[in-house]
Amino acid sequence: MSEVNPGVDLVPSTRVEPASHAVVASVRGEIDLHNSPELRGVLLELLAKHEPKRLVLNLGQVPYMDSSAIAVLVEALQKIRKSGGRIFLTDLQPRVKGLLEIARLDSIFVVAKDEADALARQ
Amino acid sequence: MTRSSQPTSPPVVDLKVQSDPANIAGVRKAVEDAATGAGLDEKGVAEVGLCVNEAMANVIRHAYGGATDRPIVVAAHCQDGGLVVTIRDWGNGVNPATLPPKPFDPLEPGGLGLICLRRMMDGVTYAPQAGGGMLLVMKKNKPQPGAGGKSERGHE
Repeated sequence: MSEVNPGVDLVPSTRVEPASHAVVASVRGEIDLHNSPELRGVLLELLAKHEPKRLVLNLGQVPYMDSSAIAVLVEALQKIRKSGGRIFLTDLQPRVKGLLEIARLDSIFVVAKDEADALARQ
Repeated sequence: MTRSSQPTSPPVVDLKVQSDPANIAGVRKAVEDAATGAGLDEKGVAEVGLCVNEAMANVIRHAYGGATDRPIVVAAHCQDGGLVVTIRDWGNGVNPATLPPKPFDPLEPGGLGLICLRRMMDGVTYAPQAGGGMLLVMKKNKPQPGAGGKSERGHE
């Protein structure tokens, strides 16, 4: 694994897992219309730079997100799907999990228990 | 959308902010505190907070077209065993409740905020204002003992 582009406050760490063709990013903080454009910029840059087959987003430090953050995740999903990739969401907190369910996205993203679980999935 | 009664008690939250997305979190947390004070449970508090967030975001994006220097007035009142939240804007006056419904596609942007309001609040009313803009009134009831509350997986 290698650290890449240790990032802005919202995405404090990212790393590449070559064996899994994965990029793992930890996201931190509450995300709403104010900072979701920042998240969008980071995620789209990661996808463009590494072209991973799986993007693992550890949301364990995201206690809250709104529909603008959901829209960012969906845009990233659309992007990675074009190259046959998938997005894994891990360590979901209750409010985030609830919003994903309302948005009917809990079965469209791959929801994994933690990063290890996401990287072990086929 | 169902109809909410107009608040009559003094507000426990009364904020006037600019339509800058940076203000959403502070207003949301103030209303969440009011919801806690009104006796809502943790789930209800979270739902009220999210709906305030989504309503403000809709005002900023749609009523004000992204302008960050327009006024938004948010108030919250305890009433009839619950919390009434009002959000006043002076934007384009388009009533979201009158827009033609479109099937919700989770992979298409837009619409999730209004779905949250419909599912999570017990009453939602948009009232166009004579001087321009819109008054949104949202009501959230305290959970009744033994009641299951509104389903998050309810039908559209």
